[in-house]
Amino acid sequence: MTHNTVKASDYAFTLLRYLTLFGLLGTILIPLAFVISVSFRPPEEFFTSGVYLIPKNPSLEAWEQALRFLVEPLKNSLLIASGTTIVSMLIAVPGAYVFGRKEFPGKDIIYYALFVSLLFPHILLIAPITDIWFEIKLYNTVIGMWLALQVFVIPFMIYILRDYFEKLPQNLEEAAQIYGCTEFTAFVRVVLPIAMPAVVAVAFLAFLIGWNEFLFANMLTSGQGPRPAIVELFLLTQGTSGNVYWGRLMAITLVLGTPPTVLYLFARSYLGQAFNIT
Amino acid sequence: MLALLLILWLPFTRGIWMSLHEWPVVGERTFIGFDNYEFLLGWDTFYISIKATIIYGLSTVLQLVIALVAALLIVNQKWFKNFTSSLFLLPYTLPPVVSGTVWLYLLDPNFGPILTALTDYGLLENGLFWRSSGDLAITVITLVGAWTFWPFMFIIILATLQSIPEEHYEAAKIYGANRVQRFLKVTLPQLKSAIIVAVTLRTIWNLSKVAQPLQMTGGGPGYDTSVLGILLYRFASDNGRMGLSFAVGIFLLLLTSVFIVVFIRENRRSQQTELK
Amino acid sequence: MPPKAAQETDKQSKSSPSTHVLIEDMRKTFDDGSIVACQDINLSINEDEFVVFVGPSGCGKTTTLRCIAGLEIPDSGHVEIQGREVTHLKPKDRDVAFVFQDITLFPHMTVRQNIQFGLDMKTSLSGSEKEEKVREVAQMLGIEELLDRQPSALSGGQQQRVSLGRAMVMDPSAFLLDEPFSALDANLRDRMRIEVKKLQQKLNKSMIFVTHDQEEAMTLGDKIVVMNDGRIQQIGSPYEIYNEPANHFVAQFIGSPSTNLMPCTLEAGRDGISISSGFFELELPPDLADQINGYEGRVDLGVRPEHLELGEDGIFEADIQVVEPHGSRDAVYLTAGDRELVAVVDAGVIPQDRDTIQVDMDIDKIWLFKESGERLL
Ligand SMILES: Nc1ncnc2c1ncn2[C@@H]1O[C@H](COP(=O)(O)OP(=O)(O)OP(=O)(O)O)[C@@H](O)[C@H]1O
Ligand SMILES: [Mg+2]
Repeated sequence: MTHNTVKASDYAFTLLRYLTLFGLLGTILIPLAFVISVSFRPPEEFFTSGVYLIPKNPSLEAWEQALRFLVEPLKNSLLIASGTTIVSMLIAVPGAYVFGRKEFPGKDIIYYALFVSLLFPHILLIAPITDIWFEIKLYNTVIGMWLALQVFVIPFMIYILRDYFEKLPQNLEEAAQIYGCTEFTAFVRVVLPIAMPAVVAVAFLAFLIGWNEFLFANMLTSGQGPRPAIVELFLLTQGTSGNVYWGRLMAITLVLGTPPTVLYLFARSYLGQAFNIT
Repeated sequence: MLALLLILWLPFTRGIWMSLHEWPVVGERTFIGFDNYEFLLGWDTFYISIKATIIYGLSTVLQLVIALVAALLIVNQKWFKNFTSSLFLLPYTLPPVVSGTVWLYLLDPNFGPILTALTDYGLLENGLFWRSSGDLAITVITLVGAWTFWPFMFIIILATLQSIPEEHYEAAKIYGANRVQRFLKVTLPQLKSAIIVAVTLRTIWNLSKVAQPLQMTGGGPGYDTSVLGILLYRFASDNGRMGLSFAVGIFLLLLTSVFIVVFIRENRRSQQTELK
Repeated sequence: MPPKAAQETDKQSKSSPSTHVLIEDMRKTFDDGSIVACQDINLSINEDEFVVFVGPSGCGKTTTLRCIAGLEIPDSGHVEIQGREVTHLKPKDRDVAFVFQDITLFPHMTVRQNIQFGLDMKTSLSGSEKEEKVREVAQMLGIEELLDRQPSALSGGQQQRVSLGRAMVMDPSAFLLDEPFSALDANLRDRMRIEVKKLQQKLNKSMIFVTHDQEEAMTLGDKIVVMNDGRIQQIGSPYEIYNEPANHFVAQFIGSPSTNLMPCTLEAGRDGISISSGFFELELPPDLADQINGYEGRVDLGVRPEHLELGEDGIFEADIQVVEPHGSRDAVYLTAGDRELVAVVDAGVIPQDRDTIQVDMDIDKIWLFKESGERLL
């Protein structure tokens, strides 16, 4: 008797589980399905009524327009994101190593200063940074963007990488030093190769932050400067109450959304670890 | 290392100095003491903005619920576990401006599929012009915010769930705990720390989000959806009042600082237990 | 008596040409001097000597070893290797090899790359010469088939063997091993111990081996350095350490079951010097009495379990608590007065059901320690 009721509740539970699971997936996949579908519709199709998924007259027009529009902005995005990544790696990898594995005076205080800036609402800095950038002529330059983004990329990277370095076996560098390394070569020859997967993952994250970032990019660049694609997309969506060609926008959306998604899924396991709190 | 701190903290100090001035992008700067702050405190719209910020910040709760449910569903999943959880991450991996664009389309009153469908089935008389209603607009940006950012909490909670050893559940089963009891007695206590961290972190970040809500409503109608971040941005970008903009920032910092303190405390604690 | 002398001769050998590693007055502190990890370390090690540092956890063994390796720089004192002052040299310039307590193979390299690492960094040998050396070492350690594996695919014992290989291939002037086998299970540990001993004899190199296990120390060392509280307590051969402990600590730490120590009083009576505990009294024969130079007062009497004689007559009676079989011998746990004692006798000599027994001891086999711990007799 009890046996049966247990079973019934088990079935009900499983059913509920799958319903919720598919419901959740639906909130993600259905919008995406529409985005993809719409990106293949020609402009005329937007004025026909009714909701449907398969485009009636599939066309690549939206994609053509989108790509033509995106050539320059994408170059800027790529330049900004990769430069940001390189600059941040040069600082954050050795920085995280030092924080993770060395002792030096004032370490805790400096680390907390960094740590607080991880949480700190960065938007608050747009006014002073814009102002300073104007003064030191970094406004509307790629280098200006690289530097400005470090404000939040570096604390983030150091936070994740420090944790990783800290957990490496204790005597690793010492073993390397016994067998002929200096402190520096021990880092380069032994620690860095071991940490490589995490470093790459963090580099991906830096890249995608650089790629996704809107606010600073919008403040620090103008139409004549290296304005990245995200800002261009934003501007396109402003004042859109009229008749926009949604197909083109959705195609742009897909182009801009793909690189960070791919990178993120690669970097993911390390993110989870860094935030693994028990 | 020091250069690093400089790049972070120099703008901040400079900002404080700026906030004591009427500071246009170009032109005369005049020292006005605390006038910027006084102005804000005496300005009705400022309170609308604070209210909007808090409502928008509340999307954290929604995010937590979705993330918790999703993580619990996934953790015992046998097939396609990785694949499904990757799908769950999609909203978060898209740039916020991109997901904002997507929802602008989906919710477009004239052509977007959602509202069209609702009108077609007679649930709505006319197109729903949510951007011109303050209440609707704030609801929409809060919901879209939740949709966009919940996977972040999902990652943290899932990682923690996966680190709970199976033996704990088995032990609980042997002592006759049912599903609910197991959740309350085994899962929840071990998740506590992760949840606190995820919630504080997400709250801090949600309170200072700009790009997506700005894109979806432009901060309007009026200032109804101008969360502090947007207000700050509007002052800096549209009006060129840099000093005032930073003053708004200081209030934002005050608002988030509570959560920052909680987070740091929690982080310290978890590091200490790690040492043991 | 020898114990003190052992240290003396050791110091004198300082100038001898066979001295290989020399440490003088070394001291190392941590946390701005609030933790003294080791001090007054004086030690000389010969070319082919197997030296074991032994002592309880936290006594400064690892710190001493790390100072020799250059992983720590001592606060004062100095270290010489092969007559060369190395106190402030970098580890890589010292020509020593170090095997760590926990396994520290480089996880991103194969076993071969791990063993070859030092050759890559320090020498300019050709590829084939390196390969030859690696092969030789691998053969000696019996790990040839493992050369192309990743460290993660090895057992703990195999990994430590590779660590040894990584050290051996460098042909260093000294091997430093910090509890290399403490993570292994007892059986494997015994096997590895024998192997290391054989290796050292084959290589004829000085080797310093750290352990907190006194049995391991006794079986391995040509020379044993007993440490406690950051100081060297005694240096000597296993025989000396066991039979002529320099102080209370060494007597107690070395040997298992450990030495019986009983508080006693030393009194000069009319007809000589007597030792009295609560439950027995002993008369010191004149030749021994001379050696203590009229010392009086409280002392600790120490006697090894195997030197307690159990039988029908003795100097005091004790209750038998437990008879614990140890193969060919039995350990008999006793109480006398409020003291707990242990004796070791041939197996089966004491019937299991016996309650009390008479205890005797050979006056030539006892030690006396002053209250300060120093050996008196
Ligand atoms: N880096 C350090 N910082 C502070 N104190 C230290 C450090 N290294 C060692 N100590 C302290 O110095 C003392 C001696 O430590 P050491 O590691 O040499 O002991 P040990 O004899 O090797 O012990 P074990 O058998 O546990 O390995 C201990 O009290 C230890 O806490
Ligand atoms: Mg040690």
